[in-house]
Amino acid sequence: MIWALVIVPIVAGLLLYALPRSAEASAKWTGVAVSFGAFLAAAFGYGAPDESFRWLQRPFTANFHVGLNGPGYWIVLLLALSTGCALMVARLPRGRDFVAQMLVLLGAMTGVFVARDLMLFALFWDLMLVPVFIVLIAWSPAQSNATAWKYLIYNLTGGLALLLATAAFGIVQGTTDAIGAPPGSLATMSDVWSFWIFAGFAFAFLIKTPVFPFHTWAPDTYADLPAPMAAVVSGVQSKAGLYGFLVIGTSLLNGPMRAAAELMIVLGLLSLLYGALAALASDDAKRVVAYSSLSHLGLIVLAIFSFNPIAVGGAVVFIVAHGLFSAGLFMTIGEIELREDTRALSRLGGLGARSPRLAGGLAIVTLAALGLPGLCGFAGEILILTGLYQTGLVWPTLIALIPIVLAAAYMLRLFQGMMQGPEIDDLPQREDMSPLEILALAPLVAAIVLLGVDPEPVTASAAQPLGRVAVAGCPSPAKACLTSETLGPKSIEGVKFATLARVAGQRLEASTP
Amino acid sequence: LTKQLIIPFGGADWSAVAPLTIVALSALLVILADLTLPKKLRRPAGIGIGIVALAAAGIVALGGWGHPYAAFGGAFVQGGFAIVFEEIVVVAAIFSLLLGYSLGRDDQAGGAIALMLWSASGAMLMAGASNLLTIFLGLELLSLALYCLCALAPGAASRESALKYLILSSTASAFLLYGMALIFGSTGSVALAAIANGAVISNSLFDVGCGMFLIGLCFKLSLVPFHVWTPDVYEGAPLPVTAFMSVVTKAGTLAVLARFAYALVSLPQGQAILVPLWIVAAISMIVGNVAALAQTDIKRLLAYSGIAQLGYIVAALAGTSQQGLRYAIFYLGAYTFMNLGAFAVVALLSRERDEGSNLQSFTGLGYRQPVLAGAMTFFLLSLAGLPPTAGFTGKILILATDVNVGYAWLAVVLIVGTAISAYVYFKIVRAMYARTTGARIPRTLVPASSLPWVGVAVCALATLVLGLYPLAPSDVVPLLK
Repeated sequence: MIWALVIVPIVAGLLLYALPRSAEASAKWTGVAVSFGAFLAAAFGYGAPDESFRWLQRPFTANFHVGLNGPGYWIVLLLALSTGCALMVARLPRGRDFVAQMLVLLGAMTGVFVARDLMLFALFWDLMLVPVFIVLIAWSPAQSNATAWKYLIYNLTGGLALLLATAAFGIVQGTTDAIGAPPGSLATMSDVWSFWIFAGFAFAFLIKTPVFPFHTWAPDTYADLPAPMAAVVSGVQSKAGLYGFLVIGTSLLNGPMRAAAELMIVLGLLSLLYGALAALASDDAKRVVAYSSLSHLGLIVLAIFSFNPIAVGGAVVFIVAHGLFSAGLFMTIGEIELREDTRALSRLGGLGARSPRLAGGLAIVTLAALGLPGLCGFAGEILILTGLYQTGLVWPTLIALIPIVLAAAYMLRLFQGMMQGPEIDDLPQREDMSPLEILALAPLVAAIVLLGVDPEPVTASAAQPLGRVAVAGCPSPAKACLTSETLGPKSIEGVKFATLARVAGQRLEASTP
Repeated sequence: LTKQLIIPFGGADWSAVAPLTIVALSALLVILADLTLPKKLRRPAGIGIGIVALAAAGIVALGGWGHPYAAFGGAFVQGGFAIVFEEIVVVAAIFSLLLGYSLGRDDQAGGAIALMLWSASGAMLMAGASNLLTIFLGLELLSLALYCLCALAPGAASRESALKYLILSSTASAFLLYGMALIFGSTGSVALAAIANGAVISNSLFDVGCGMFLIGLCFKLSLVPFHVWTPDVYEGAPLPVTAFMSVVTKAGTLAVLARFAYALVSLPQGQAILVPLWIVAAISMIVGNVAALAQTDIKRLLAYSGIAQLGYIVAALAGTSQQGLRYAIFYLGAYTFMNLGAFAVVALLSRERDEGSNLQSFTGLGYRQPVLAGAMTFFLLSLAGLPPTAGFTGKILILATDVNVGYAWLAVVLIVGTAISAYVYFKIVRAMYARTTGARIPRTLVPASSLPWVGVAVCALATLVLGLYPLAPSDVVPLLK
């Protein structure tokens, strides 16, 4: 069942090549059907029993072990949803081949988030590079393939470090079937081993996220990818690194994670500031979104390395939230580019007058991205900031507030540059959003609102790594730092988050013996 | 008198060498068919006889599994180790024969196929050889046939290839022989078992002998810095011969190398003698991949990549653990399928006067022939060590071994080499899938034979299955004590 989520899209994608080249429409709708099928199957498959097959027995045990729970569940849902929505509006030459690559990517990335074995994780981690590379060289507007090479070399170098670290982990522990293993079931590693193994994993995760100074591949890649795939890659693939820190780092390599926390917080802050400033200065709409991603993901890095339960819960919410609005942003920008043949903010303007629906769609996703209360971006940010502050990271919290203010500036600049101002005469005047395009954006908007109003199910899913953080790290009983008394006076929306924290605390209590 | 002549070798001795005898004798049958059959049937008959004989040899060889014994007074050790290498040789030879339609002119085909079979039987002899004389016998049988095969293609490049191979390979043989002489001089025995059983005086004569012997083997394995002949020879030789050489020569030599290395470690200075070998492997991984970066001819590219791949395999032997030997064999098996699969794809692109080995013939293949391009991508992923392939699993096994035996630096070098190699292999992927505006797209022509499709399909399947179900052979003991 869980395996089907991985295998069916990949096989379906490869089988699409059997269709005649002209059958673009049927390929597209097959892709949409597979994606939404995967979404439904995953949605109802929460907590389905893990599936495992033996892979290696020697030199260490490795299994084809997959499970669908914890934060991975929400990311898989996000992935299937954004793939389906993005495919609905995909209009590209050689459409059959593009849909095929999107489906392979869907399967491979689902694999990353359901893998419960490190070697399987490494397998999908490397596999998801291939369709993106092929799409970059086959569909990118630039004649040179520099972007594709940059993407591949950066990410593969990270992937190989991950592979070596996985092999070392397997040798030291005797098994790689460790993601989500109950704490205490693994041997304690010597400092040297755990340091180097963590270094390998962290290198891969930092490149993938990306975190300053490993980010230079990302803006180029997002700008050059066709909008539907950019939506998925920026929305979901970049989360693989954060997911890795959250699920592999905190539970399996807690010691070195804590040792590296200061460095990571500094890197996260640098990404936050740098991304925000670069987003303010970019003229290319896709690059604005790419740099804003760098900024937002920096905030999540801060949250993860604060080891604060509230911040970690917020990190999971923001992971999903960022995926939703970033997919929405890339899709709408793609639609604008399709109409106007440009996405340069300096060229565009005044589109809102003739295309109110397009303006409305873009408005919702930009507002979500700048953190408007009631939408999903805010829910994640406020939880993270509260948690950071509670941990005692006062200065990082204050510094992190600056880019959050800047986010309003660059997101509004993006919206204004495209939709408002005087109409520009020499821009092609084309029709407003079609019903299909509205239909494609609607699920994302619905999810943005739902998650903004009630992030509780997602924060609760974080209880799994949450519990482990508390158990492994907090000297005081875990629940002590989760009561509303300690949280109340400091929180901004005290009541709401006290409730949230209480729920998380109860789950935590239930999950810790 | 007759009784005296027969006594030394009994039935068990002959059954140990039965597989390679079958292959060697079938070559005679191929020549006979070439003489008697009508012109049109000669090539298909030769290929058919060859494949059937190789398959039969493979099955016969499997029959000996689980009962290791020394045949011919210890000159040939029958057992899991020999059988695994024999199977690899058999498989590689079969896949090379599937490309047989690109092998020489019609009137040369019979002889060429026979030579290939003899060469394969030489490699199979090396798989079981456990004294210095049998090793040399197998090696020369393997090489002599290859000198002729290299010269089969029309044009000066092929003759250059053959001559280069002859001269450099003979030089290597000279090193090997001199090393053997020194080893014999210091131990008084040609049997590897004599070394393994540890009754050797440690003297510098023996160490120098081992060094020269290893240099000879490194020549044959084309490890850096003994690799310079490889690209030219691979480029000039006909495609099936290149495919054959890239696996069969390596498999045979690797069997000898592994047997020798594992015999050496019972000596106090054994590990020390082998250290240069691991350094050579490390250099090969880097230099092979770096040199492959600039290649535009697939055969040259695969020659350099093969140098690096052999580096990975030898790296698995580092520390001479039993586990490492198994994973070296596993990776060799994986390499067999992925490499020969790639060669089969090249064969399907070949046209008259053009072997399809230029990078240009891959332009736009992703749109012209998506299935073939997909298969090629899959083989390249495997060569680059990316999932979900045998190359990926094999590489992680080698990494684990190196970390386990304390050669973590080799694992790091392997990772660096692999990172470089990504560009090499993805260059071909790029050619297949990149937008082709303005570029000259070669026309798709019907290949000389669709036989290589069989190779593509089987190799792709094997590469996938070996990746998901890594069948590393147990019970591979290089030498009987």
